[in-house]
Parts: sequence; structure tokens; C-alpha cells
Amino acid sequence: MNSGPALVSILRQGDTLVASVHTALDDSEMIRFQNDLVRQIGEVRARGIIIDVAALDVIDSFGSRTLRSIADIARLRGATTVIVGIQPEVAFAMVRLGMDMGQVPTALDLEEGLAYLARLRAVGAS
Amino acid sequence: MRVLAAEDRIEPGMIEPYAIATVRNVMATMWRRDDREVRNRHRVFDPTQPDDVENVLVASEEQLAINEALRRLTDRERQVLLAHEVSGAATQMLADEAGSTAGAVAAQLKRTRARLRVEYLLALDHIEPPTDRCRPVLLALSSADRRRQREVDAARHLLECDVCARLSEPLLDRGPVRDDVLHVTIGADPDIVSARRAARDLAAQAGFTGTDLTMLATAVSEVARNIVRFADNGDVTIELLERPRRGIRVVARDMGPGIADVEAALQDGYSTYSGLGLGLPGARRLMDEFNLVSEAGHGTTVSMTKWFDPKGSA
Amino acid sequence: MNTDETAMDTEPGSSLSGNHLLPQLVAHLREHRAKLRDEWASRIRDAHLLEAMTPQEMVAETTSVYDNYVEVLETGSVEALQHYARDLSERIIPRGVETHEVVGIVLLLRDVLARSLFEKYQRDFGLLNQILDAYEPAANRIANTVAVSFVDERERVIRQQQDAIRELSTPVLPVRERLLILPIIGVLDSERAKQLTEQLLSGIRTHRAKVVVIDITGAPDVDETVANHLVQTVDASRLMGASVIITGLSPTIAQTLVTIGVDLSKMNTIGDLQGGLEEAERLLGYSVTRKEVSEGS
Ligand SMILES: [Zn+2]
Repeated sequence: MNSGPALVSILRQGDTLVASVHTALDDSEMIRFQNDLVRQIGEVRARGIIIDVAALDVIDSFGSRTLRSIADIARLRGATTVIVGIQPEVAFAMVRLGMDMGQVPTALDLEEGLAYLARLRAVGAS
Repeated sequence: MRVLAAEDRIEPGMIEPYAIATVRNVMATMWRRDDREVRNRHRVFDPTQPDDVENVLVASEEQLAINEALRRLTDRERQVLLAHEVSGAATQMLADEAGSTAGAVAAQLKRTRARLRVEYLLALDHIEPPTDRCRPVLLALSSADRRRQREVDAARHLLECDVCARLSEPLLDRGPVRDDVLHVTIGADPDIVSARRAARDLAAQAGFTGTDLTMLATAVSEVARNIVRFADNGDVTIELLERPRRGIRVVARDMGPGIADVEAALQDGYSTYSGLGLGLPGARRLMDEFNLVSEAGHGTTVSMTKWFDPKGSA
Repeated sequence: MNTDETAMDTEPGSSLSGNHLLPQLVAHLREHRAKLRDEWASRIRDAHLLEAMTPQEMVAETTSVYDNYVEVLETGSVEALQHYARDLSERIIPRGVETHEVVGIVLLLRDVLARSLFEKYQRDFGLLNQILDAYEPAANRIANTVAVSFVDERERVIRQQQDAIRELSTPVLPVRERLLILPIIGVLDSERAKQLTEQLLSGIRTHRAKVVVIDITGAPDVDETVANHLVQTVDASRLMGASVIITGLSPTIAQTLVTIGVDLSKMNTIGDLQGGLEEAERLLGYSVTRKEVSEGS
């Protein structure tokens, strides 16, 4: 990750990438985040991606759409994306705004997101 | 003496421009002017447009009232006020000249401003207060001096005196000197984040909580982005309202190409460039009031308000 | 009455403090209690104040307010005054009396009594002035304290009622681990629906809920706005990783949802609360079952 140390971190955990957004991102930073993450998905052949947005106090139309595009691109590369940590007020404002995450799965927090991916793997393994 | 020097420069025929300059500084609320601004706010900003007749009329009416109000001050009050407001004399300098302290001069200026506001309101409506108690009460209200208000039993007088009850409105409405308006210049992506942060801060300070804060910030984000994408640059003004009740008004203005079909732009899914269609209709859903004016070639003004709801859960 | 002259004589030049005159003043008000109270009551009627009260209530209230008023005048203690004001407010607020009415009746009483003092002492302006000097500050203090206290008390009562209503009407109940029930009871308006959504969403975070059952059996009316809220609540809960089951959906409400374009097949709706809870258990146990099956195979 080279978009500055404080904004975003992307950690690898087995075949899962955990991306945490640490602070509000403007549109250009959001795009850079998308590009970095997509590149790493290819590099590490990730099967699962968790994007932790708990630190975001606003997810507007651009933010929502970028998260969805990341998930779409990841899906085309065979990886499942889970968005975790959407705050109650943010969730409310998002639906008021008219945004949702489409078919992208969501979970309460990182722990739940990892559990979701683990369940998915277990089902897929059968 | 500097005070007298300032006075010297005010020739009899010249008092008007001085008075206007003075009172523009002194009157924290020119509520008629505010009204006009509110009425004009939805209009697309056009610097070439001359002041309309109504504005000129109202302005001259104000000037007469200001003049009259200044006349009703004592000579000393007027001198100090004009020296400070017009000539920009510092309170310390005025204090030195008068052999007083800066604090005392500041207090005197505060009292004078309060008196000027009262006399201005009376002159504007061409009325004399009906009782001897009216002026002390109005003065106590104008200076926002609660102790003095209790002493003169202002609350009771307002119950009994229609004139003061009416005049007290603009006086009480005056509020603090505008630390309740924020301007954010919008020119690039990071400004979108700055604008929504500013809105959130001001609203939080005003008592907004939880979801309302987030909805406001999200709506500001959308209208600010619209400026960056459509018009390159513009500005967002965030203002705390106290009347008719507490709220936050956001005005996003740009001088860009304008929106050809406003109705369509407010429909979900409309977009003239890829990827954005929810911004404006979404912002409208997030706010309590929403108004969009656009003129091809002149720009777009979005004005939207969220009202504070004390019943809302914290 | 017959002690006027004596009193005047025994209080020579007591302009320094009106307090010397207060006992005399109070005695006068006590003596003419019935007459003054009736006069006051009729002034209240003329001013169209306290019209929510029956004539009997008026007699009872004015008597008690009058007596307390005189008592406060007599003792002059701040405690007595505050107690008086609070007592008046507490008794009078539940009857829907407005602030201007309460201020109005106290000011009327002040004036009725002042006029009576004027009539009694008008032959001696010196004494009259002293009496009024003693009376007016005390009377104004009572009026102010009552007004302030009334407003405070009224706000407090209203706040209390609102809190009570909110608590009663929107409980988010944790039934078991990871499961919340939100029974919606009573009429939903847009404001309540919003509060409800906020409570539910923060409840999801607090209780780490995975499934939420919203039971709307007790909601008689759902208009389009509220139906929209309901849909938004479901969507927002999903964004936080919780599934929503809606129970008690009446045919009318279902129709409203369809009218505003909600795809009911995408909403998990179950007929009654019992069925909804069973479905919730199934959802919560679902992954475990699947996992066991897959591990066993
Ligand atoms: Zn007055």
C-alpha cells in the first residue's frame, strides 16, 4: 500500500485480504484504494476480501459505488468480498440516500466477516 | 484628540455614508436585510445584475432610520462609536485619550451599540415607546444583559406591552456575532470531505446528534461533489438557523454550465456523466427541505435545510 | 377595618422597611378572603382564563391559591414561595393550563389585592404608599417565581411523558443471543418510525444481533411514508449484517408495500410472531447445521 501509511491498511491472512480504512477518504484516495486492493487481489490470488469501513462516518454515493465495484471486480477474479463495520447512522443514511450493497455480503465487524468467509469455505469444500 | 478628529471629518452632509458604514458594523442583525438575502438566495448569483428597485428603497429607508438613531445618541456616545467603528480607533487608544481603561471603553461601546439598535428599531417604525419603562427594557434586551433584564422585570413588561413585545423579536433574535456560518470553497476532491466535516461540526455544536448528523454530512458530500464534477469550482455555505426553529441550512453555489433539465436531475438514476445519478435526489431525501435553481450558462444553486428535532433520540 | 387608625399611629414613618406593614396587610387580606377571592375568580372568568376548569374546580383552586398566596406574603420565605409555585404548577399542568394563563391569574390576583389595598388606605396617601411599597415587590416576586417555575415544571412533565411514551412504544428486546425482537405497537408516524430505526440499528450493534424480528401486528396503520421507513429499516439492518424477518403483516399493509413498489419476495415475511421466531432460530442455527452436514459428508 503506497497511498500513505495512515489512510488504509491491507493485510494478508492466508488467502484472505483484510483491508481497513482508517479515515475519511476523498474520491481520489478512494480510487487509489480501489486500484491498490484490486492489484493485490491478483498478486496474492486472494479468495476472500474483507473491507472494514468502521472508521467511515459517511459513505456517500461515490463511496458506496466504489465499494461495490471492488466487490464486482473481486468476484470476477474468483474472490468473495465482505463489507464489515458499517455504523448504524451510516447504514441509515445510506438507505435514505438510496444506496445499498446489492448482492455484496455485509457483516457486523471483522470477526463476523471472517466467520462468514470461513462458513463459505466450509460449504464450498463439501 | 483622535475622537474629535474623526468627528471633524464627518461634515454635516456626510453623516449618511458614515452612518451606514458604522451601522453595518454595529448592527449584528439587520433583519430586513437578512430577509432580502433569504429571498434572493435561491437566485443564481450574477455579479452583473444591478440592485433592484426594492432593495434601493429598503436601503434608503434604513439609512434614514440609522441617521435618526445616531442623532439620538449623546454627543460623547456618537463620537466614541464613530471613532471606533468608522475610523477604526482601538479601544485602548480611545481609553488613553479619555483617561479611562480599555475595558471601560469596550463596555461603553457595547452599551452604545445596544442603544443604537433600540433607537434604530424605533426610528424604522416611526414610533415612540408608550411607557417610561419601555426603553430600559428594550435596552436590557438589546445588550443581552440578563441581570439587567431581571432588574427591570423585562419578561413581565413584554407580557404587558405590545410595542416592546414586537420590537423585542429582532433584538432577541440578534444572537451572537456570526460564528454560526461557515464557507467552504469547493475546487477539488479534498474539499468535498472538508465541506461535510464543516457541516457535521457546526451541526454537532448546534445539538444535532446521531443519524441527523450523518444524513446532513452525506447530503453535503453529494452537493459538493456535484460542484467538483459539473462546475469545477464553487462554494458551500453552512449556516446555523434559529428561526423559525433551529436548523442547518446548506447553500451550494457554482457558476458552472447549469443543469438543463432540473426535473430530470432530481429523478433517481439521471446522470449526464457516468456513475452519478443518486447525488441530488439522494441529498433531497436526506434533508428536510431542498431547493434547486439552475440556469444554463449561469450556474446552479442548491439550497437545503435540515431542522433540529429535539424529540429525536440522542 | 377598625384597626386602621391604630395601625397607622403605631407605624410612624416606617418607610425604611415595608415589612412592618406586612402583618397588617396580611390581616386585611385574610379578613376579606371570601370577597376578594370571588372578585378574583370573576376577573379570571372575564379574562377567559382557566376555561378548562369546572366552576367547582375554580372555587377549590382559587381558594387554595389565594390562601397560599397570602401565606407566602406573610412568611416571605423563598422556600415557601418555591413550594407554592411548584405546588401550583403540579396541580394545574395536568389540566392543560397554558403558561400565559397561569401568569395571567397570578397577575390578576396581584391587581385585585392591590386595588383592595388602595380602597382601604386611599384616605392616607402616605400610608398607602408604604403599604404598596411593601406589597408590590413581594407580589411581583411571587408572580415571577410562579411563571419561571411553571415553565420549568411544564417542560419537565412534557419531557417525562415523551420519554415514557418512547420507552413504552419502541422496546428492542433481546430474546436470546444474536436475536432481537422489535414489536411495533400503536400508530406509527414518520418521526417515530425514524426513532425506531435508530434504536434498532444501535441495538443490532450492542447485542451483536444476526437476526431481527419486526412484529407489526400491533400497528394498525401503515401509510406509504411509514412503509418506506420499514423497507429502509430492513435494508439498513442488512448493511449491518443482520437479517430481518417481518411478522404480523396484514393484507392491507402488504398491499401498501406492493403499491410503493416493494418486492415482497425479497422481504422475509412470516404470518405470525411464533412462526417468525421459529424462522429466526432456523436462521441462527442454519450455518451450524450446514457445517455439521458438510463435515459429516
Ligand atoms: Zn414597552
